[in-house]
Amino acid sequence: MSFWRRFARNRSALLGLAILAVVILIALGASLLFPEDPFRLVGRPMSAPGSNDFLLGSDTLGRDVAAGIAHGARVSLLIGLLATTVAVALGVVLGGIAGYFGGWIDDLVMRVTEMFQTIPSFLFAILLVAIMKPSIQSIVIAISVVSWPAVARLVRGEFTALRNREFVQACHIVGMGDLRIMLREILPNCLSPIIVTGSLMVATAILIESGLSFLGLGDPNVISWGFQIGAGRTVLRSAWWVCTFPGIAILLTVLAINLVGEGLNDALNPRLRER
Amino acid sequence: MTLAARRVRYVLKRLLQAVPVVLAIVVVNFFLLQLAEGDAVDVLAGEAGSATPEYMAQLREKFGLDQPLVVQLAVYVKNMLMLDLGYSFRHDMPVAQLVLDRLVPTLLLMVCTILVAVGLGIVLGLLAASGLNTWRDNLISVFALVSYATPLFWVGLMMIVVFSLNLGWFPTSGMENVAMFHEGWDRVKDIAHHLVMPVITLSLFYLALYTRLMRASMLEQAGMDYVTTARAKGLTERRIVFVHILRNALLPVLTMAGVQIGALIGGSVIVESVFAWPGLGMLAFEALFARDLNLLLGIFLLSALLVVAINLVIDLLYSFLDPRIEVG
Amino acid sequence: MLARIVTAATFLLSLASTPLLAQQAGGTLVLIAQPEPPTLASYLSTSGPIGLVAPKIYNGLLDYDLDLNPIGELARDHQISDDGLTVTFQLEEGVLWHDGEPFTSEDVRFTIMEVLKQFHPRGPSSFREVSSIDTPDPLTAVFNLERPAPYMIRALSAYESPMVPKHLLEGKDIREADLASNPVGTGPFRFVEWKKGQYIRLDRNEDYWKEGYPLLDRIVARVIPDASTRTAAMENGEVHYGAFGAIPNVDVVRLREDESIGVTTDGYAMINPMALLEFDTTRPPFDSEAVRQAVSLVVDRQFLIDNIWFGYGKPATSALSSNYEPLGLYVATDNYPATPNVEAAVALLDEAGLAADADGVRASAVLDLIPYGEEWRRAGEYMKQALGDVGIELELRYEDVPTWLKRVYTDYDFAINMNYFYQLPDPVIGVHRHYSSDQIRQGTPFVNASRYSNPELDELLVAGSITEDEQERAGIYERVQGILAEDLPVVNLFEMQFLTVYNEKLKDHTVTATGPYSSFDRAYLEE
Repeated sequence: MSFWRRFARNRSALLGLAILAVVILIALGASLLFPEDPFRLVGRPMSAPGSNDFLLGSDTLGRDVAAGIAHGARVSLLIGLLATTVAVALGVVLGGIAGYFGGWIDDLVMRVTEMFQTIPSFLFAILLVAIMKPSIQSIVIAISVVSWPAVARLVRGEFTALRNREFVQACHIVGMGDLRIMLREILPNCLSPIIVTGSLMVATAILIESGLSFLGLGDPNVISWGFQIGAGRTVLRSAWWVCTFPGIAILLTVLAINLVGEGLNDALNPRLRER
Repeated sequence: MTLAARRVRYVLKRLLQAVPVVLAIVVVNFFLLQLAEGDAVDVLAGEAGSATPEYMAQLREKFGLDQPLVVQLAVYVKNMLMLDLGYSFRHDMPVAQLVLDRLVPTLLLMVCTILVAVGLGIVLGLLAASGLNTWRDNLISVFALVSYATPLFWVGLMMIVVFSLNLGWFPTSGMENVAMFHEGWDRVKDIAHHLVMPVITLSLFYLALYTRLMRASMLEQAGMDYVTTARAKGLTERRIVFVHILRNALLPVLTMAGVQIGALIGGSVIVESVFAWPGLGMLAFEALFARDLNLLLGIFLLSALLVVAINLVIDLLYSFLDPRIEVG
Repeated sequence: MLARIVTAATFLLSLASTPLLAQQAGGTLVLIAQPEPPTLASYLSTSGPIGLVAPKIYNGLLDYDLDLNPIGELARDHQISDDGLTVTFQLEEGVLWHDGEPFTSEDVRFTIMEVLKQFHPRGPSSFREVSSIDTPDPLTAVFNLERPAPYMIRALSAYESPMVPKHLLEGKDIREADLASNPVGTGPFRFVEWKKGQYIRLDRNEDYWKEGYPLLDRIVARVIPDASTRTAAMENGEVHYGAFGAIPNVDVVRLREDESIGVTTDGYAMINPMALLEFDTTRPPFDSEAVRQAVSLVVDRQFLIDNIWFGYGKPATSALSSNYEPLGLYVATDNYPATPNVEAAVALLDEAGLAADADGVRASAVLDLIPYGEEWRRAGEYMKQALGDVGIELELRYEDVPTWLKRVYTDYDFAINMNYFYQLPDPVIGVHRHYSSDQIRQGTPFVNASRYSNPELDELLVAGSITEDEQERAGIYERVQGILAEDLPVVNLFEMQFLTVYNEKLKDHTVTATGPYSSFDRAYLEE
């Protein structure tokens, strides 16, 4: 059975894909749907959803929440995907090498990840953003730097466990090259935890961005869901819509990404197919 | 060499490696923090409302901030080796005391959180995996995701509104009741009472990871050859799941737990902020923004020691759980 | 005989109806200290939160009633000589420090001359004219001044100039002294313990010099970092008092409706906070007076007050706060509209030669924002839109406190800085520092960072500080405000109104002008 058909059999994965498609479409079409700059003060402040021509209400300055969500989708998705991609790539490469070769390479890589781990990750992100001054770039870098060690350790653990399995030993006997063994034999077998961790990491990236905004370290010149949540938190009890709708947007996006991730996992892992 | 002896040698080797690691961490952190603009004197002067350049120069001299960087680093390392974590000029207290005061609240919060999150996560993951693709599985997965993706401060504030303000079951914030100043057993109960909401808020967040990981891990193991073999051998499903699959499936979960326990010391800045919980997270956060470098380095050092120790324990546990994993 | 009985009866009746019984002694007041004070050494630092705690421990020579008239604290009476060069204070009898030692005029002399004049951020300017202090007897202190200093008498509250114990500080390094973490004062509450990050505990001083006071058993200052949690704690009755905006304005609007919670704007008359924009007057585009005036005309002050501060505030109408009106020093000036005058602003910009390019942009700059709170971010975001409408493109910059302080006040690396300052009880203490040439001190925060220098104004400022005659002083400051309304190195946005939110059970907390910074000796909690 082909990969796509396996994937399509999983209804929740399809649902996830559908939601994600909608989010991406909104992100791409933001300028068409909401041509005005989302920072513009376009109407009566603190309008409830549905009043004063505001679909999802307006915030304390009179900015359109819906416009912010549409334009912010682009930024938040970008932050999430970019940061995660870098972190996972780095983690897989370093963790894989460490786990496969063992010995001093393993020691070195593991000590380096330890160094990164020793500073509590959220604090480390805060530290990096504070040093680099808050901006989208510094936030992405900070999130990547903070996230890769977890992936590396996970991958290294998997590689260490698998490298001594019989099938790998068999490959050695046959004379297969190291790179080939790592990429074609071991990596596919530990894809599951990587995909799970990776998909949660996109969520984490978006959440770290909103956490940073909460603490005052967001980029003030770019609209993102994190920005909206940060701007809305003080009025949570008076104008709940300002940070709830962006929160829901994050929730749905995270849900969608994870459902897709699960679907990928199930589809990629042939042995699960039967169940 | 026997397995036990190899393990001992491994532990010693790791401990020996720990020394340069921790040292390297200290040095890297030191230089990293120097990259931040402004120093403790700028902050103090700003708070004081004003200060003359002469006063600020005097303060810098007193704090040792006017020395060249290498000298400052050397002084710090020297003190550290003598187990002196230095003095926080901002708080006017030794760093060790400041950290110690916040250590217990932090451990309380984080240990309880990890226990709840890992315990519940393993159970939920198991339930989800054993009911693959049923409504139970989907419900658990969605629940885990929702609790992860909802901003912590929102969850915290909602808990306060519902359980403190509306129902009156718990206090809104803080570690203890400062109007009463309980003693003895009453104090313990008071603190426990204050601990509930922060722990639940934070556990909900961590729950997702463990649930998902456990579920995925269980499923992965279930598809492995040894399971087919076991089934062919006629073992009961129950035995297969609980004795064989579980043991292997726990590996990634434990790794993650280990990674997170290592980050224990960091506390949680957001939960500590929302619930006014006096933890090391907030202390480090405030230290960063006050440029209280001695304090921040002290916290990082403690964190470094803990991470190195935990990683070692995890690696040993790995080798216990799976004899095929070599050690050393 | 009958007359005697009537007299006695009347006397007894009046006794029975005295309000003394209405006040109940006892109870623990929990107040919010936000952010946590860095120290309790109010003699070394004027950091705001210190004022919430330290004046309960230390006393000042005077306090001020709600009309800003001096009333006695440690100095039960005072006289100023006709030439204004001698100020004599008669001190209360039987005052003891918390460690049992007696308080005398020697403590006063030591505090002013050796501590405040040397180390306090505002002490050197408040007591600039004091050349010596005589102590003819333990209960009298005589201040000898070089020139008259009418503002000095307003700088003697417990917050501004706390009396500190000579016997604990003499001969020591004042800055290092243990007193900073273990304060010993003469105040109604004594320091017991400070659990960093949690609370500061003060217990009643049983030997307080004011008979029958204080009424409370204990004051605990709680640290709660999150604003919404502070509101929840107030609603829940866990804290009874929050000042200086501890409860965010948006929640105050909601809490006002609650009968068990009260809100007041009283108690801040000695502070006079003003939200403003500081410009770097040495670089384009803000080196031009016309451009700065344009900015002042474009800002919708009422919008800021209504939507970001939820109605609390008053548009600025001059370089001085209108709260100086009782002193006769305030006068409304041009160039401070409450609602925007966009055409006039555009005309000014055209006149200044700032033409719009193809995209409508005339100039661009970075707006730095004070990093103390969400409102300033909203204000910055508003400014970006408002100025963008007339072609001045702003990029917003948020940084943490040390980065911001260093950038603006040490490196002078800014174009516009949004900030707020206390104008304090007299313009000499709080306003001169923005405009006087001798206040251009690189590396010192919160002084003349605009690097504005006008010799004519400098002369007027000096005159304003030494002139005793009220009429004359009023005339001087009228001219000062006129000049500043044209030059506008600093554009005042609005007079902030700080709020005190309190549980209705708490009584007599705001009975003097120092409000949250007062001693709370008369405060009590009703059952």
